[in-house]
Amino acid sequence: MITIVQESPKYLIGEVTITEANLSNSDEFKAELVKLLDEHHKILILDLQELKYVDSAFLGALVSSLKYAISLKLDIVLAGLRTDIRDLIKLIRLDKVFKIYNYAEEASFAVNKM
Amino acid sequence: MQNCTCKVKFEFDNCADKLVSSLEYMLGQITPCIPPHADSNDILFRCKAIITELLTNAIKHAGKGSTRFDVESDGSKLIIRKTDTGMPLYLVNTRNNTVPENTAENKRLISADPLSSLYANWETENHIRFSSEEGSLDDFLSVEEVAEHFGILIITNSSDEFTYTYNKTTRENIFRVRVDF
Repeated sequence: MITIVQESPKYLIGEVTITEANLSNSDEFKAELVKLLDEHHKILILDLQELKYVDSAFLGALVSSLKYAISLKLDIVLAGLRTDIRDLIKLIRLDKVFKIYNYAEEASFAVNKM
Repeated sequence: MQNCTCKVKFEFDNCADKLVSSLEYMLGQITPCIPPHADSNDILFRCKAIITELLTNAIKHAGKGSTRFDVESDGSKLIIRKTDTGMPLYLVNTRNNTVPENTAENKRLISADPLSSLYANWETENHIRFSSEEGSLDDFLSVEEVAEHFGILIITNSSDEFTYTYNKTTRENIFRVRVDF
């Protein structure tokens, strides 16, 4: 579900390989995020460019995972979102809690400057 | 001249693997109903969010049977209605019956975090209208305070009106969403 495509001392870039993220796979998605955070202990940049459909269960899993990341003094950063998914995130104001970038490269540049 | 009226019935079998195909089917039926003066991208974005959440709700709560969707447009607005006979919404029978209907006392906060507050307004005992308000971020201390359940909020924020009715006689749950063109 998540393929690591780049790793630096500070961050991981994970490509989300599914096109549909909803209640049927949100628990599994969250478990993968938690495992990556536990194993690598790095900021996780999620490249979501393949994702076409999301629902509230997936967004809930993302928020829950972000809480876990913050508890480890890490972060989950979002990149490559389709316009409608970005608009959905803004609709419920989750853009106030996630750092969102157009591209994973842009996100990695920003993370390196933190 | 474009015909901006439509009436579509759709039965959803509450299976998660048919969520996207059902969503695409309904959006495909709605697209020709959007009048030229309306912002079709915005209408379709809102309908996509609403229908996705109604389908997700059906999978979670409607049980083994099927869920009926009725989509109707008269050229000025779109009505999406979801009907099932699953368990009633948890808010049913929680109205304060000691106060008159349609009064401010029947508006109750049902969830709140620093981002948003969600309200249920009991218009009658089994008829609820949802509304939301943006929260002030001034007191935002931590992501720990952020809610993790967004289904009702997404529908409320995407629509011009969102109501839930429980029909005690037929035991039907009816979610009705209005989107103005």
